[in-house]
Amino acid sequence: MRIKAILHYLGLIIAIIGVSMIIPLLWSLFLKESPAVSAFAISMALAIVIGMILWRFIKVKEKNISRREAVTLVAVGWISISLFGALPYTLCGAMPNFLDAFFEAVSGFTTTGATVFTNIDIQYKGLLIWRSLTQWLGGMGIIMLFVALLPLLGIGAARLAEAEWTGGKQDERLTSRMRDTAKVLWAIYMVMTILEFILLKIAGLSNFDSTMVTLSTIPSGGFAAYNLSIAAYNSLLVEGIVLFFMIATGVNFGLYYFLLWKKQPGKLFKNPEFKFYLLLLFGAALLINLDLIINMGASIGEAIRYGSFNTAAIMTTTGFCTADFNTWPPLSKAILLFLMVTGASAGSTSGALKVVRVLVLAKYAYRQIKNAFNPSAVIPLKLGGNIVPEGIVNKTVGMAIIYFSVAVTGFLIMSGLGLDTVTALSAIVSTLGNVGPGLGAVGPLENYASIPALGKGVLIFCMIAGRLEFFTILILFLPTFWRWK
Amino acid sequence: MYIIIAGGGIIGSHIASLLVQEGHEVTVLEQSETALKNLQGQLDIKTIRGNSATPKTLKEAEIERADLVLAVTNNDETNMITCFMAKEMGAVTTAARIRNVDYSGYFVAPSKTPNSPRKIVRPKSLGIDVFINPELEAATEIMEILSGFYSTPVENFANGLVQIREFKIESESLVGKKLTSLTLPQPSMIVAVIHQGEIIEPEKDFVLSEGDSLHIAVPAYNMDELGKIFIQKKRTAKRVVIFGGSRVGVLTASELQKRGVKVKIIEQDPIRCDELAAQLENVDILQGDGTDRTFLTEQGVSSADAFVATSENEEINILSALLAKTLDVPRVMVVVNKPGYIPLAEAIGIDVAAVPTILAANKIIRFVLRGGVISASLIEAQKLEAIEFVTGAQAVIANKKVTESGFPKETKVVAIVHNETIFIPPEDKIIKPGDHVVIVTPPESVQTIEKLFK
Repeated sequence: MRIKAILHYLGLIIAIIGVSMIIPLLWSLFLKESPAVSAFAISMALAIVIGMILWRFIKVKEKNISRREAVTLVAVGWISISLFGALPYTLCGAMPNFLDAFFEAVSGFTTTGATVFTNIDIQYKGLLIWRSLTQWLGGMGIIMLFVALLPLLGIGAARLAEAEWTGGKQDERLTSRMRDTAKVLWAIYMVMTILEFILLKIAGLSNFDSTMVTLSTIPSGGFAAYNLSIAAYNSLLVEGIVLFFMIATGVNFGLYYFLLWKKQPGKLFKNPEFKFYLLLLFGAALLINLDLIINMGASIGEAIRYGSFNTAAIMTTTGFCTADFNTWPPLSKAILLFLMVTGASAGSTSGALKVVRVLVLAKYAYRQIKNAFNPSAVIPLKLGGNIVPEGIVNKTVGMAIIYFSVAVTGFLIMSGLGLDTVTALSAIVSTLGNVGPGLGAVGPLENYASIPALGKGVLIFCMIAGRLEFFTILILFLPTFWRWK
Repeated sequence: MYIIIAGGGIIGSHIASLLVQEGHEVTVLEQSETALKNLQGQLDIKTIRGNSATPKTLKEAEIERADLVLAVTNNDETNMITCFMAKEMGAVTTAARIRNVDYSGYFVAPSKTPNSPRKIVRPKSLGIDVFINPELEAATEIMEILSGFYSTPVENFANGLVQIREFKIESESLVGKKLTSLTLPQPSMIVAVIHQGEIIEPEKDFVLSEGDSLHIAVPAYNMDELGKIFIQKKRTAKRVVIFGGSRVGVLTASELQKRGVKVKIIEQDPIRCDELAAQLENVDILQGDGTDRTFLTEQGVSSADAFVATSENEEINILSALLAKTLDVPRVMVVVNKPGYIPLAEAIGIDVAAVPTILAANKIIRFVLRGGVISASLIEAQKLEAIEFVTGAQAVIANKKVTESGFPKETKVVAIVHNETIFIPPEDKIIKPGDHVVIVTPPESVQTIEKLFK
């Protein structure tokens, strides 16, 4: 493994983050928020200078990178961008403690949306824009952007994209070259962003609010501009628009490519994951609505409005909220916790295990049961009529085991730090799935400020591991990965 | 261009990697899961699993927008049907790897009634535009090497006026000499220097060492003079031993035999031996192990002028060639399929006579991608490409000096042929419309350069 090659490309990734700070910088400049302006100027200069030094002065002969280098670059890249992304929070004085700032930055880039701000309403607007922008950059993937921008990477591009992309390796490439695929995905992402922004403007939100909500919805992030999240707007229309886009971003983006570019709607509507995703979403929403009506005495209108919105917000791992579901009946809370584990579709901007994996796991379990009474039966695992290769089945089972192992370990540590069971469990599940709000002390109207420092460290790990789907980050902890250089 | 390659074996993946480097959009169709996995690990391309001859697979590959379909599976019939289907479904150009020479001719079908005209059946009417027969190309190449005194084939440009050939540093008088101190016949130009298997940009005091090789461009009339610097005179082969009764071996043997050369074929498989004996006249067929030293000595290999290892198993080819070399056969050559084996063979001093995969890629480059009018060939597997362009009247670079025409910086302009007058290297000549220009370039820049000549 060539450390030089990794530093070379890392420089460019850091520089991209530096350049993107121009947006909050200008915003703060416009609003004359001087501490924020200087914070962004310094962070931006640091990121660009350090990035360009790495990029220009560490030269590599062979431009292409190996799988090992790709995995390391993605993991190190995500940690570095979070470090640089955390600078403005500390420098402007909003978060004197760098660990808090790092938590907030990781939460942003991984599109978790868990915050340590105790009062969002009083923060600099520029800083809030940066906070949401980090989600937008991390949603489609900073490495994906890097692949789309940088030509001449060849097979290295595919290796990088695979190490970052959610849902594992795509069984079907959209285009021949990974670079074109990255461009297509970013294009779809951009179109959705612009569309939501325009619709929110029409619904009457200000430029600032539309930007904030859009940058948070499309990447399934969840950072809001106000303590009350989306409830602050108290507008049914805004909630409807956000709900639509939340559901839309929970769909595999590749399917939109077939729908819009290739005019093959069948790929979308006959996709087993898409169908199961909608089924699960509507099923969960229906159950919660009924639960709210029967056990909490909510009116039908209220139940549909708040029940559906928050269900979708949790399942797509966006983490917006319009109601305090901490006060909901136990069944609703349990369903929400379950949805935090499943997440939405693979290849979408949502986090967690993904619906397709839940499907594969369920079929795998069913097969094991069948095989228990007839061991000689050969049963292929099928999804939508196509056989799922055993390699992918194994990887899915493996990932589920890792997911639950990490969750249990995290839960034990958090409990050890003195958090109550509900808070400890939901904090871990919520950060692993990049959702944002949990239950109990980290509920929708609460925040993560009260978690002890070690706990924040654990949650930071959970967020990155969840976003990169474990393997990419866990490989770095394997001694054998480093031994054979 | 959007190019679909049917078959992801050695040839398919080699061509795919070349085309990707040139910046084309490539999709590979392949049936075997393992082959697909290998491809995905090596190349940034789209792959589809399935039988390339079926409309379902072709449809999935969006055949209707394909500019070129290359059918290079190891089955002739699959390739033919793939091309037929592809053409029917809208592909622009098709090329098929057809190893059975019987398929590439034309046939006259008997008329049904005495009065009706006889029907001529041409494979072209099956939708195949270009036939690629790597084995036949390999045999031709071997023949060319055996009949001359060079150990490497020549590449012709501008109707044969300009030639490029690879010379290996073998003779001891050259080892340890500075590159700059070589007195080459003028005009000439060294287009590439290969040192330890890599193309390098030689520094001023670069010293030649054994195993290096130089690709040199000269006018055709100077080639023999140039050759004398690098190669000791070798006698033309009168007795040749061929190891391996593969297609290449058989084609070479029958051609050699026609030219009055005494040929022995060594083949291990007794059944194949019977087939060979039935097929070839006046050729000795010997059944035995080509890596058995005693057997080779017994069959008089040490008194042969040349030993060519052409069996299907390239590892054994290299082994048996090495063995023949220790038996003092003056010229020992191997045929390998995996381009990765070329440096291996060269490292132990065996000439690689032909690499069918590269020959196939060459042919595709020459006849399919570049329209067949001009020449093109690959240097050192595929790291460099030598291409001839004809300057169009409206070309961007017409009537400009070479130095000012905006070629990419890694590109070398090797020769300009203006009305049969050859300029090597052209330095600051002005490129006129109608001039033939020979360029050596990494594949990445080919598309940029093509635009300059349009």
